[in-house]
Amino acid sequence: MSFRLRLMLPLWVVFIASVGYPLLYALYLSLTNYKITARYDTKIVWLKQYKATLQDPNFWSSLQVTATFVILAVFIEFWLGLFISLALQKQKRIRNLTRSFLLTPMFVTPIAIGLMFRFLLNQQLGVIPTFLDKFGLSYDFFGPGKAIFSIVLIDVWQWTPFMVLLLLAGLEGLSKSPFEAAKVDGASAFFTFRKITLPMLMPVISVAVLIRSLDAMKVFEYVFAITRGGPAIETVTIQYYTYQTGIQFYKLGLASAMSYVLLIFVMIIVVFLFKRIEANRRNP
Amino acid sequence: MSTLKVINLRPSWTKVGNGLLVLMTLSVFLPFFWLTLGSFKTGAQLNNPRLLLFSPTLENWKEVLSSGVLDSAWRSAIVGLVTVSFSIIIGSMGAYAISRYKTGESATRFGILAAQVLPPAVLVFPFLEVSYQFRLNDTLFAVIISHLSFVLPVVTWFLIGFFDAAPKEVEEQALVDGLSKSQAFRKVVIPQVAPGIGAAAVFGFVLSWNDLFYALILAPGNSATLPVKIASFNTFRGVELGAMCAAILVAVVPVVIVSFFIQKRLVRGISGGAVKY
Repeated sequence: MSFRLRLMLPLWVVFIASVGYPLLYALYLSLTNYKITARYDTKIVWLKQYKATLQDPNFWSSLQVTATFVILAVFIEFWLGLFISLALQKQKRIRNLTRSFLLTPMFVTPIAIGLMFRFLLNQQLGVIPTFLDKFGLSYDFFGPGKAIFSIVLIDVWQWTPFMVLLLLAGLEGLSKSPFEAAKVDGASAFFTFRKITLPMLMPVISVAVLIRSLDAMKVFEYVFAITRGGPAIETVTIQYYTYQTGIQFYKLGLASAMSYVLLIFVMIIVVFLFKRIEANRRNP
Repeated sequence: MSTLKVINLRPSWTKVGNGLLVLMTLSVFLPFFWLTLGSFKTGAQLNNPRLLLFSPTLENWKEVLSSGVLDSAWRSAIVGLVTVSFSIIIGSMGAYAISRYKTGESATRFGILAAQVLPPAVLVFPFLEVSYQFRLNDTLFAVIISHLSFVLPVVTWFLIGFFDAAPKEVEEQALVDGLSKSQAFRKVVIPQVAPGIGAAAVFGFVLSWNDLFYALILAPGNSATLPVKIASFNTFRGVELGAMCAAILVAVVPVVIVSFFIQKRLVRGISGGAVKY
């Protein structure tokens, strides 16, 4: 066996065992009526679980909640992250310290961040609501119609740093000459930003936004730590709904079908992402 | 001279930028600050969240440290170390083959990328069912296998970037000097990318250390890892806010310290796969 195959083989074997096999097993589970409580009565039911999934209004609601969450969170994270990276790029003193400090949230376990904000935003005991109270503002961060936005806020707090990381790397990799030419021509800062920075940064922006969106689709910890899906089902995201179906109601077959429907959406985005990354690799 | 003139035109934007950075630094700092305060407050003091000066109590910390949080931190560390060790050995070999020999390049790279972003909800039920079959549910073994499914792809992806950036000349010279390809890989290439391997190991460890979803489903009981344990402060013990604050800090502090010190290389590794330097 050639040297390069010997190098690749362990990766392929472990990869197939830990990703490929479970992926196929999930497909099999999604075609059965498997329940943890009735493991020995498992029968193949073909597409019945998929039909049940697509006819379940709560499934569609969870997709809608997830889509709202992803779009809002990634939109805010992108713009905020872009301005922060521009500011960091121009910063003169204590550059490295500021960067390291601002990136910290993305390395912390999300469940801890979720519980932390549950504590800080708690209506009776949280520092933020009592502070707002002082100014006569009463705002229940996890009340009806508001909880999902608070979850978005927490995601923004934790994951804007990831945007900053990628966008700043992109900004620093841009060639200097167009900016110098713009300076010579006396272009305004806004003009330079809109006509030079944004277009040149586009390949990095699309990768950053796609990766962040895929990651945001997995949101689970904040919901688990704070709202448990409530009020009503306003914050039941797709990942949380699958967890409920599979673990709380033991319906592994149905949950697998749900996750496979989600997988289709994910794979479409992954194909775009892969094409973009490969293009970036060829034209650095 | 024109550059000088332009610099004079810009200080207002620089001020806005620095103002934004101060604001952001505060918004990162203050939540951690309040959490730390909370961990030293008694139940009564916690009722007044704006209380800044108080006589601190160590009760919360004593309670947390005697509640098994340290045991679960230890389990998290074992899971992280085992997962990362396997991932680094297997991943560095594979990443080198992909980077140098373009082995199965497109398909393998796509697989590795897709695996990194795969929703854990897809893989977790097969892991659960297979661990039932082998009576491995609620063991660290099941958690380690599940963590391999995302740590290995991330580490490999990370390392492809570092191998791409390593100069080929030294390695070619080693081959000319009579080393075999595998000797050259072990003795010449690996030391060259050692800093990258270190960063990949830390990042992989952090990902494993931070995971709640797999650990919660595969080992919710006696083998609870740190995130699962922390989550339980929320559900089963009512509102023990002080202890919860301390427990959160146990999970947060080590990661913050480690990531702070090797951040430059972490940043290079994370961005390297997506943004060419």
